[in-house]
Amino acid sequence: MKQTLGYLCIILLVFTIVVKGQEQEADTSATAMLEKLTEVKGQVEGMNETVLEMKSTLDALKKIKISGYIQSQFVNVNSDATVGGFSGGNFDKNYHNRFQVRRGRVKFLYDNDLTQYVIQLDAIPTGVTIKDAYITSREPWLRMFALTAGVFDRPFGFEIAYSSSSRETPERSRIFQTLFPGERDLGAKVEFSSLEGPLSFLNFKGGWFTGNGIANETDNAKDFIGRIGVSLPFTEENLAIDAGLSAYSGSVLRETGKKSYTLSSVTKAGADSTTKYIDRTYFGADLQVYYDVPVIGGFSLRGEFISGKQPGDASASTYHKVNTSSPTDIYLRNFVGYYVNYVQNLGLSNQFVLKYDVYDPNSDVSGDDINQNVAAKLGAADIKYTTLGVGLVHHWDANVKFTLYYESVKNETTKYVASLKEDIKDNVLTLRMQYKF
Amino acid sequence: MKNLFLAVLFGLAAFGFRGPGDVITVKGSDTMVILAQRWAELYMGKNSGITIQVTGGGSGIGISALINGTTEICNSSRPMKNSERDKLKQRFNSLGVEIKVAKDGLSIYVSESNTVKELTLAQIKDIYTGKITNWKQIGGPDKKIIVYGRENSSGTYVYFRDFVLQGEDFTSTMQSLPGTAAVVNAVSKDKFGVGFGGAAYAKGIHIMRVKKDASSQAFEPTAETIKSGSYPITRYLYLYTRTRPTGQIKEYIDWILSPEGQQVVQKVGYFPVK
Repeated sequence: MKQTLGYLCIILLVFTIVVKGQEQEADTSATAMLEKLTEVKGQVEGMNETVLEMKSTLDALKKIKISGYIQSQFVNVNSDATVGGFSGGNFDKNYHNRFQVRRGRVKFLYDNDLTQYVIQLDAIPTGVTIKDAYITSREPWLRMFALTAGVFDRPFGFEIAYSSSSRETPERSRIFQTLFPGERDLGAKVEFSSLEGPLSFLNFKGGWFTGNGIANETDNAKDFIGRIGVSLPFTEENLAIDAGLSAYSGSVLRETGKKSYTLSSVTKAGADSTTKYIDRTYFGADLQVYYDVPVIGGFSLRGEFISGKQPGDASASTYHKVNTSSPTDIYLRNFVGYYVNYVQNLGLSNQFVLKYDVYDPNSDVSGDDINQNVAAKLGAADIKYTTLGVGLVHHWDANVKFTLYYESVKNETTKYVASLKEDIKDNVLTLRMQYKF
Repeated sequence: MKNLFLAVLFGLAAFGFRGPGDVITVKGSDTMVILAQRWAELYMGKNSGITIQVTGGGSGIGISALINGTTEICNSSRPMKNSERDKLKQRFNSLGVEIKVAKDGLSIYVSESNTVKELTLAQIKDIYTGKITNWKQIGGPDKKIIVYGRENSSGTYVYFRDFVLQGEDFTSTMQSLPGTAAVVNAVSKDKFGVGFGGAAYAKGIHIMRVKKDASSQAFEPTAETIKSGSYPITRYLYLYTRTRPTGQIKEYIDWILSPEGQQVVQKVGYFPVK
């Protein structure tokens, strides 16, 4: 009996030890699991914090936007003469074709919603130049008005603001290249635009500029440039009509001892040696129509007309630039110019382009009027040019496009200028490849 | 030189024309991704020769893809902006074609255990602009409101900002999540969270009743309240194409608008336009 009791006690003791051991083991593993859980929780929280930190960094980086494009091209003209100035730069008399990097742009934008910082550079083999450098600030209440200051596109017409990377023709019209070389000017402008709401069809941009492109100021007079536009989308019909009226009201300085000649007569130019600031005045109207043609694709028909007074030089109708070390006379001409541009999308990848472009730097004279009388001071700078361009654009993918474009350039002729007795051989063929990101 | 020009012109033209394939790409709104997938599955089942590839990413991403030419159809839970139309105009000489394919009641999600059951539009705006930060300010417990929302590429984000916040910015404390499913998931696990998104995603959470103002009646987003316009945050869901749809794309869109396609809208949890 005692022996049995002893055995029972031993069994109970062993059982108690085993159970206790198991309990302790369970306690230990539960504690370990809890510790592990706390550790994992801590790690998750740590990762969460890291993600939040990364997110704030990423949000800041998202404000920086870099874009750009390169245009590489082969250009051929049908002459060895010095021509091609309006097709990417003059050719030398010794050659008539060339490879060229026409534009190599990189644009940095810091977009902080209501304020923007923009720098755009053009890096090509001949050098690096600044194209844009400006700040824009939009008011926070209506978000309709913005102020921009620095170097940026002149707010005139349509073609200036239409990016070279999007444009279907290799270059802008002759009139824009003459009146607004480089497109940009130094100044400040205000802009009105409403993204939504009843005024969303209306836009305005206008301001005061040095009138010297990106060069430094040379006089006290500032030039006003502005455009008021409407944008009428008819979404049901897939038709859009945009239009605008533009004005340039400015002047150039007549330097002391120099004259301003008005070239409006075929017999004698009017001379002025008293007026200090000579008028530089342009008026423009532009219209763009877009329509989606079923099956074929959308087309656009764009046109602009500009007329006004241009204070140029004897040899060129670009605006007169003040040169204190070597001053020259001013030649004031009434000019007129326009273009019509038709672009037809052919499916998703191709576009057919047709453009007719006219620039008459002196609308008061024509043909044989030029250089008939020396006193009229007329010459090659008064010759009218018309350009008919035809081409095809092929969009290889979202980044790359190819442009093939042929321009037939005709000029007015005059029997009184040896080089202008017949049409100059200056037709241009351009084959361009562009990468844009 | 003219002959050379013509030869290259025709060569490029011939090279450039690529025949239409049998693959239709659809990209855009995350809100619509389930709906678009259901449509695609059903349509491909009936038309064995066609492949429809559906991806999300957000309405903004879809519209960008439409502009870049990398998708044929864009799903969007918001109307296209004027600036986006301008880009289409620039590249394709077209304003794009807008097709309304469904209606949605933009829903306000809270946890099932949340005691606040209805909100006014003004209160929702104040929560999402950071003026109301505690549930007790709107009749709930004394707990901080955890605000969940979408990323700015989302059409739902833009619609909510423009319509509910009336153009004001979201509070900086909002946690931006990459899709409506993520918002629903976060709110379902957060007793004091609030989120917004399409009605079709409302699983495991409670949908708030919403009223126009304090004196109005509150409504849940249901087929009746959305159709009648009683539910105050109602929007359309759109498809966009670059140009007038033709061929297979037109047939597909016509089918989406047919009774069969609109039945899918209802099954997924949205509301038909017809």
